[in-house]
Amino acid sequence: MKPTVVKIDNLVKRYGELVALDHFSLEIKEGEIFGLLGPNGSGKTTTINCLLSLLSFDKGEIEVFGKEMTPTSYDIKREIGVIMQNVAVMDELTVRENIDYFCGLYIADKEKRKACVEEAIKFVGLEDFVNFRPKKLSGGLLRRLNIACGIAHKPKLIILDEPTVAVDPQSRNRILEGIQELNREGATVIYTSHYMEEVEQICTRIAIMDKGRKIAEGTKDELKGMIRNTESVSIEILELPEDVREKIAHLPHVYETDYDGTKLTVRCSGGRHNLIRILAVLQEAELGFGRVYSELPTLNDVFLEITGTALRDSKE
Amino acid sequence: MFRHNLAYELKEVLRVREFILWLMLFPIILGTLFKVAFGSIYSKEVFDTIPVAVVRTSDNQVAEEFLKGLSEEEKPMLATTYTDAENAKQLLLDGDVEGILTIGESIELTVSRTGILPTMLQELVSRYKLYETVIRDTIATDPASLQTVLAKLSAEVNACRDTSPKADNPDVYVQYFYNLIAMVAICGNMTGLHVSTNNQANQSILGARKNCSATPKGIYLTAGLLGSCIAQSVSMVLCVTFLRFVLQVNFGGSLLLLYLAAILSGCLGVAFGFFIGSIGKMKHEGKSAIAITVSMVLCFLSGLMMGNIKGILAVKAPWVNRFNPVAIISDSFYCLNMYSDYRRFISKVIAMLIYTAVFTALGVLFTRRKKYESI
Repeated sequence: MKPTVVKIDNLVKRYGELVALDHFSLEIKEGEIFGLLGPNGSGKTTTINCLLSLLSFDKGEIEVFGKEMTPTSYDIKREIGVIMQNVAVMDELTVRENIDYFCGLYIADKEKRKACVEEAIKFVGLEDFVNFRPKKLSGGLLRRLNIACGIAHKPKLIILDEPTVAVDPQSRNRILEGIQELNREGATVIYTSHYMEEVEQICTRIAIMDKGRKIAEGTKDELKGMIRNTESVSIEILELPEDVREKIAHLPHVYETDYDGTKLTVRCSGGRHNLIRILAVLQEAELGFGRVYSELPTLNDVFLEITGTALRDSKE
Repeated sequence: MFRHNLAYELKEVLRVREFILWLMLFPIILGTLFKVAFGSIYSKEVFDTIPVAVVRTSDNQVAEEFLKGLSEEEKPMLATTYTDAENAKQLLLDGDVEGILTIGESIELTVSRTGILPTMLQELVSRYKLYETVIRDTIATDPASLQTVLAKLSAEVNACRDTSPKADNPDVYVQYFYNLIAMVAICGNMTGLHVSTNNQANQSILGARKNCSATPKGIYLTAGLLGSCIAQSVSMVLCVTFLRFVLQVNFGGSLLLLYLAAILSGCLGVAFGFFIGSIGKMKHEGKSAIAITVSMVLCFLSGLMMGNIKGILAVKAPWVNRFNPVAIISDSFYCLNMYSDYRRFISKVIAMLIYTAVFTALGVLFTRRKKYESI
């Protein structure tokens, strides 16, 4: 069994009356890409800040690499790389100088550092921009610089707090691929995001957060297995008599139908050939229809079913 | 790790545009403007002997002796031309003399314009009238001491025109340059504030990143402060050097001590900014506005914008000058220039050191926290 890298036990954090973390617990094993998924304000960043000993908390315990995490745990901090939600670089320094500066907060040896810096530059693909100041970089390049500053010292645990916010799709893909590569090289990764697609794409295990609580945890398949929905069928249809809708609702495995005047959504739990059965009912009633989609459940469906609101509808 | 942090702090600070503009270019520009504005007045009106026409309308031995005494010194205050009233009037209209002194029962003054030199003549005549009885008594009782009495009278007129009593620096406008140096020093708060903001997790994302690192806070905080003090010292040395050697401002006294005082005052400015940056949760922009406002008020009270404000405060609220760090800074330069012993200068330097130590200690006290309630 792989050793535990991060253990958060019963964490409570209050901001006055607001409970930001409500008895939150977590265990992350070595080699995982662990996703913290939740809407804005669900407590993801607060969890990270408590984990990094930046924030004080009211109750609970945090262990990293088997030791209690405190603000002066420099031996632990040496093994952690942090990529903050907002870009944290110095505007007056060049790309190379920025990476060297932050790497130097972990590695004192100049020669060793130099090699690490060059490797980080290569890793994020900033070779052509080493003498640029951050203000001259595009949003995507700036995010890559932010990542390079966090990983140059080759940490064993990398924490990325929403690193793809406001990033173009090309840079986003590059960042996600990079995270997977770091993981393949042996780093354990904690990845927070409110983009479920990203979390689904790269995370080996996921915890879903809402209002400071962990509402579900597991692999993406385990999470999807927790809900009834196994398939959502959507059909563009301009006219749907009530009796036809009733007939569809009573088909095997169908547990919910939803019609908004232009689109019929049918949610099914288990079974095969659900789509064929639904289309057969429509043909039998001689109703014309447009495009047809069949979607497997997403983490948004998991969130929706557990909390009653869609992940993207939730507000801070 | 300390050297690494120090090197990058210096690199960063010296590349900040505001730092270069306000702490390096601005004093050079303002100093040049001061020099242009004051230079001509000072060279024309203060050092020259004042040319006057003297017209005798009656025999007045005392007045004759008085004027003789003022025109026969090694560096005479007056250059007298004895003539008749008509010619004197023409000399005045032609601008060859600054005034006409008419010797009658007393001395009467006629001038054709306002300005420092006519004002000094006015002051001289007023003094004569005030001390006429004393001069008459001196001539009658002890004629040998007349020169001493006249010298005293002349000295009092000199004091009225703000001329330094120390022989090597009679520049009446040098106080403005002292205040300019003091302003550059206190503007060092920008770099101090920058250190405070960049090292606190609840003030900047950069601070949060540093707080997560394997380097203890004490190291990058100390390196930041030292780097800022060095950068500020560079700007102070540059400012003094430019004023002294390019603009030829005569600061008098020991140049080495002047540099020392300038560097210390720069460190005070950094400590002041560091202290402001460490208090409260207000964001950098708000604290920066507070620091600039406080600095400008302190500069105003020390006389940067209005030369006589310090004198007014010395009479009405002397404690303001005593506690205003900018006034202390400019006073240290003044003391160095004015007094041949260093007692007063040392007391000002000690005051600066105390301010620096207190601001730094309070700043460290407020920023040393390990965890934050909120970020």
